[in-house]
Amino acid sequence: MKKFGTGAIHFFLITVSIVSLFPFAWMLIGMTNSSAEVIKGKFSFGAEFSNNVAKLLEMTNLGTAFWNSTLIAVVGTIATLILSSMAGFGFEIYRTRGKDRLFGVLMLSMMMPFAAIMIPLFRMFSKMGLLDTPAAAILPSITTAFMIFFFMQNTKSFPRELLQAGRVDGLNEWSLFARVYMPTMKPTYAAAAIITFMNYWNNFLWPLIALQSQDKKTLPLVVSSLSSSYSPDYGVIMVAIVVTTLPTLLIFFLLQKQFVQGMLGSVK
Amino acid sequence: MKKRVSLLLLGTVTASLLAACGSSETTNTSGGTSNTTEPVGEAKQKVVAWAWDRAFNGGALDIAKELYAKDHPGFELEIVDMAKVDLEQKLNTNLASGVKGGLPDILLVNDPNIQKYVASYPGTFAEFTNKVDFSKFSPFKVDALTVDNKVYGVPFDIGVTGMFYRSDYIEQAGFKAADLENITWDRFIEIGKVVKEKTGKYMITMNPNDESLTSILLQSAGSWYITPDNKGNFVDNPAMTETLRVYKAIADAGIAKPVTGWSEYVGSFNSGDVATVVSGVWQVTGIMEAKDQSGKWKVAPIPKLNIDGAVNASNEGGSSWFVLEGSANKEAAMDFLATTIGGSSEFYERFLKEKGGVGSYIPAFSSEAYSQTSDFFGGQAIYTDFTKWSKEVPGISLGMYTQEAKDSLKNELPNILNGADLAKSLANIQKLFEQQVQ
Amino acid sequence: MNSKLTRSNLMGWQFVLLPSIIIVLFSFYPMIQSLFLSFQSGRGNVYHYSGMDNYVRLFGDPMFRQAVWNTLLYLVVQVPLMLFLGLIIAYFLNIPKLKFKGFYRTAIFLPCVTSLVSYAVLFKSIFAVDGVLNGMLLSIGLIHEPVVWLMDPVWARVVIVVAITWRWTGYNMIFYLSAMQNIDSSVYEAASIDGASKMRQFFSITVPMLRPIILFTAIISTNGTLQLFDEVVNLTNGGPGNSTMTISQYIYNLSFVYTPNFGYAATVSYAIVVMVAVLAFLQLKVGGEKK
Repeated sequence: MKKFGTGAIHFFLITVSIVSLFPFAWMLIGMTNSSAEVIKGKFSFGAEFSNNVAKLLEMTNLGTAFWNSTLIAVVGTIATLILSSMAGFGFEIYRTRGKDRLFGVLMLSMMMPFAAIMIPLFRMFSKMGLLDTPAAAILPSITTAFMIFFFMQNTKSFPRELLQAGRVDGLNEWSLFARVYMPTMKPTYAAAAIITFMNYWNNFLWPLIALQSQDKKTLPLVVSSLSSSYSPDYGVIMVAIVVTTLPTLLIFFLLQKQFVQGMLGSVK
Repeated sequence: MKKRVSLLLLGTVTASLLAACGSSETTNTSGGTSNTTEPVGEAKQKVVAWAWDRAFNGGALDIAKELYAKDHPGFELEIVDMAKVDLEQKLNTNLASGVKGGLPDILLVNDPNIQKYVASYPGTFAEFTNKVDFSKFSPFKVDALTVDNKVYGVPFDIGVTGMFYRSDYIEQAGFKAADLENITWDRFIEIGKVVKEKTGKYMITMNPNDESLTSILLQSAGSWYITPDNKGNFVDNPAMTETLRVYKAIADAGIAKPVTGWSEYVGSFNSGDVATVVSGVWQVTGIMEAKDQSGKWKVAPIPKLNIDGAVNASNEGGSSWFVLEGSANKEAAMDFLATTIGGSSEFYERFLKEKGGVGSYIPAFSSEAYSQTSDFFGGQAIYTDFTKWSKEVPGISLGMYTQEAKDSLKNELPNILNGADLAKSLANIQKLFEQQVQ
Repeated sequence: MNSKLTRSNLMGWQFVLLPSIIIVLFSFYPMIQSLFLSFQSGRGNVYHYSGMDNYVRLFGDPMFRQAVWNTLLYLVVQVPLMLFLGLIIAYFLNIPKLKFKGFYRTAIFLPCVTSLVSYAVLFKSIFAVDGVLNGMLLSIGLIHEPVVWLMDPVWARVVIVVAITWRWTGYNMIFYLSAMQNIDSSVYEAASIDGASKMRQFFSITVPMLRPIILFTAIISTNGTLQLFDEVVNLTNGGPGNSTMTISQYIYNLSFVYTPNFGYAATVSYAIVVMVAVLAFLQLKVGGEKK
């Protein structure tokens, strides 16, 4: 009876895993097939891989787009982590009624659909002279209420004795944050880094508006323009999708252990 | 100590800002934006253009640039390509926020959007009325560009329609080429039933999410979803009633293969699933993708609606080049477009030969490029035929609210296909449309 | 003591000030501008003050009603489905002796690292009429005619629900899994001794202990679903008819597809804000109780 139960659980989990991984398999296979074969739903590896890669490199400025995406995602992630953890630290460690209220108000910022604030935001960035710069893609999501909340939750399990010990050693609050809090919270930072990096890397609507010239484009913009030409080449698009997906996969695998640990803290 | 840490924190934030400011300067000098301070008329200036298919309309600009550079050495053009919807969205955001800095000098506009843009953003687009000899272009194309007797932009590619068909399937079903020339849609459906029965192949594809077929039918009768004064054109419009009757008849006859997107649509004829494709001339490239079908294709005029004023010709898609009034390189951009795409037969010959694109520039029609025969189409001089049909396409005003009208129709289409009373459905659509454009 | 508290209070403001200013600048300032815009009407860049006209129009707008209906349908079907699935998976992955846990966890989490643009292209090609899914179903004999997934009002909605569930179940699952690992295993041991079945343990121990995190994911998912946009635009573009169109897509159409009316678009946006706020409040009332 018990054997049967475990078997059923494995069956269920394998099914879910297959469903989860299927689109990944589909893009890896698609990458090696011609456009016509992708459209026909051919589910086996083909011989078009090098051909597709060559076409992609010829059709787009992939290297530049990759660099732009990397710059925006890396700088954006670092800045977001610092700012959001500062706020999370401040809101939780020095908790007062006033700060709780402020945080409640900040949470409201998550409720507005982005399309609705896009035009005022665009006008603002134009006045600041930042359009068509990586800063324009980075700044609007450089601190989010969600990330602050995430850090607050994790900070609940932060051992406050460490702060007290630090104060005794003569450290001021900023050094406590940088030298005690930050190192202790490494797993939280790892989890936050994955989520933030993913958001920056995959962001589409705002970079589309804020970045203007060809040499500033990010990878999702390249994929989008490829898939809407009059005669889209799906083999080539699949290569572009794989290139776009790989870095987030890589980051996830690298930080996976810390990620799971970090998520643990967020729910205490 | 305290200072150092906070400085570090602030430093990281401001560093990204500073880095950004630095790069914003470089963009300005490189001409990524149009508010460059370089004097107009000087040899070194870079015109920026937005287009949405690097190979096709971007490629056309490459040709134009090459031609133009012969007399204008030093002319520089940067082509920024993006998805069509992305381009429209960027344009709207820029114009609505009154920010000119991010806009290009030249931009490609889909013809149904022309009136909408000109009316929504007055004074934004440069007028070409006396810069180009518009009498040399097909009248229906110039009509689409004209607002209050002013012409905004240079006509570019057209989508004069034809009925591409697989001659082998048609023969197998017992018909000859002549049986497909200048027929009505009802005859088309009859033939389709025979084809389905004898060959097992579908006659045509159908995608209820895409309004291209209804648009083709309407324009072939000189009608459109909206009237020239931007009112809904659903009620008391024989062309609309007939269009929807035909549409439903095709669906009911079981001769249409359902497709849900562009790739499936192209896939359906590339893999030989359908006997005909009713589409714009630009579809030639798509059809020729299937190299193994060479010699099996032909093209005939599209069937016509069974009402007065309907013809066997229509148009699907097409776009035009606009120049922004406020652009720093306005004069250079206008001159560039007017002398190449607006008045060079050579441009259109090369555009056809190299990109398979067809324009509406009449002097080019008699050139050798347009009279070539195609082995893929069984030796037919397809472009001679297409240009002949292009002169018959009824000119219509596309108006401002085409998309709203199409979406209102789309809302009711499932009911119509399910057999709801057509008159009642049309009244519903008209009402919905009026609510949408208040 | 008191002075120390004040000092610590002040110290705290140092940390929260800059991040708060940034959120005010990049979120609230544009939101307020949008609010002003919602009292104006016009097209493109030609506007006039129109008072409450946009709000009156909103209540009589059949397209808006359709969009709200569609969005709520996704909300009611998809959010509970996804959260429940995430919970079950997390519960299984939390079984101490289960093998291949790491593999399952990674596999199920992976979908959420894909970009929206990419996953839309992938799903569209998988669910095409001649696509790989129909091909497989046909070859194993489950269906005899290809299913026209994206053109049938019911199937199109199913595909969208499947797509969102595919992408976000793993994300929620990780939250649950982390929370479950915090539950002391002795609680389960005690329950087992008392003879409570696994199923019983799940509903009477796991779910109640996870209440705060379930509430949290429910609010986040509700918010996400009410703003649902990319999936629908890319997979069905709102069709067939307008049967899959969401409120966010309607806002987008009003701004960028139709003759632009940013004033009315802003009005529709505020309808979303109100809906999110009300639902979040209800969820807190129903699920919060403590604290």
